[in-house]
Amino acid sequence: MAHVSKTFPNRISALSDVSLEVLPGDFVYIAGSSGSGKTTLLRILFCAERPTHGEVTVNGFPITQKGFNKVHQLRRTMGIVFQDAKLLQDRTASDNVAFALEATGQFQREVKRKVSEILTQVGLQERREEPILALSAGEQQRVAIARALVNDPPLLLVDEPTGNLDAQMTTDVMRIFSKLHQKGTTVVFATQNMDLIRRYPYRTIQVTGGKRVDGETALNTKAEA
Amino acid sequence: MFFLRYFLLRAFKNMRGNLLPNLTTVGIITLSMLIFSTFSLIAFNLSSFLKIWEDKIQIVAYLKKNMSTRDVNDLLRTTRLLQGVDSVKYVSSDEAFAFMEAKLGNQKNLLEGIQPSVLPASFEIQLTKEFRNSTRIKEVVSQLKQFPQMEEIQYGREWVETFSSIVHILRVTQWILGGLLLAAMTFIIANTLQLTIANRREEIEIMHLVGASPAFIQVPFYLEGIIQGLLGAGLAMLALFFLYRIFFLQIAPPVKEWLVGIPIFFLPPKTIASFLSGGMVLGFFGSFVASLRILKYSG
Repeated sequence: MAHVSKTFPNRISALSDVSLEVLPGDFVYIAGSSGSGKTTLLRILFCAERPTHGEVTVNGFPITQKGFNKVHQLRRTMGIVFQDAKLLQDRTASDNVAFALEATGQFQREVKRKVSEILTQVGLQERREEPILALSAGEQQRVAIARALVNDPPLLLVDEPTGNLDAQMTTDVMRIFSKLHQKGTTVVFATQNMDLIRRYPYRTIQVTGGKRVDGETALNTKAEA
Repeated sequence: MFFLRYFLLRAFKNMRGNLLPNLTTVGIITLSMLIFSTFSLIAFNLSSFLKIWEDKIQIVAYLKKNMSTRDVNDLLRTTRLLQGVDSVKYVSSDEAFAFMEAKLGNQKNLLEGIQPSVLPASFEIQLTKEFRNSTRIKEVVSQLKQFPQMEEIQYGREWVETFSSIVHILRVTQWILGGLLLAAMTFIIANTLQLTIANRREEIEIMHLVGASPAFIQVPFYLEGIIQGLLGAGLAMLALFFLYRIFFLQIAPPVKEWLVGIPIFFLPPKTIASFLSGGMVLGFFGSFVASLRILKYSG
């Protein structure tokens, strides 16, 4: 991402000349208070927003190139997790995870196997047939993580995934992300929770008023070491 | 095959989930298609009737009196050589008189005291197929008018022209009406499907997020539109056939005498197939318009 700016039609500037490089296998926090532009930055990475200026390449896709129309192919190379889990409320945990595979055209037999594996990985195998509404907020977030991971993407984009969770649930969810990072998955994690960054220290990009203000600061020295 | 089954299942599920708007759409398509196909049926039958009548079309040329047999034969030969003339039959005054007597039947005494020579001899001219219409018949008539031996030429011009005009007006009305109904139906299908799309916004958003291809997202909606169009057109055809049968059983008998010699057909299979496929195309187009918004692939 090089010299990226984003101004919305109502002239609000969300990002201003932000440059960033995330290498494969990195775990990077995009930190900033509410309205700082971190979510816009994340949305640009999965092509939900197009920057007004600048160049962005994600997983080899030149998403700012004129006429870029491979958004669905780009999204198959990443998993996305939001603060609100964005699950289908009228379906079960396994249906929600299976939906991601069906929507990308995978065969039923493969779907069953992969769903079972990923739900075991996030500790929800026992509750797989429960409807979403019967699950706790933490469990719902784990279903959302399972859905994001079921296609085994090399990149995971997460936006405040622990925002609605208590301390124990946050610990559970962060353990999953840490494990994924150890296995080589690249994680870009937007958060305003500085306490979380202190407890699980990784490289941190600080965004304020749409600008990068970190300069790769002290917080990430431990992660870099 | 797996995908077609999956898409069809999703399309039917979508329809079941929005039963009332879907039923309303199918009902409106049925009604619109019924109006359009009724016009088609009437126009089709009038055209068929015109064609039957045109096949029987002939010109009668009345000859001047006191023509010698040799002159008549010469004129007969020349007439037969004209472009558009298939055959020519000479009807003498005596034959015309006998024909009139036969026509009058019991009232033939009306002709008492009248000499056969009062009636002029004539040529009954049959035309080749391509000249049996209101435009080309005039070409033959203008050639016949060049012969001074022919006193009067009759071919029921006004009748042919009026009838052709009626069929033409009906056809034009049918297509104007068809165009208006088409626009209305597209609008209705598009609106119903937008409701469906709005109801499934969450599901569509998740499909976008996980990288479902645009086709994967749109095909079930296209299928839904196609099914609506097919159902509407099919029901319209059934309703039209039902009305056609009722016309035959209830209305036709009292006016049967008037209808003698005028066959009334139902739409031919080819036209029915066109209506059904037209309904599907219309449904597809409506759903395409509705899904233009979900074509945009973004968060």
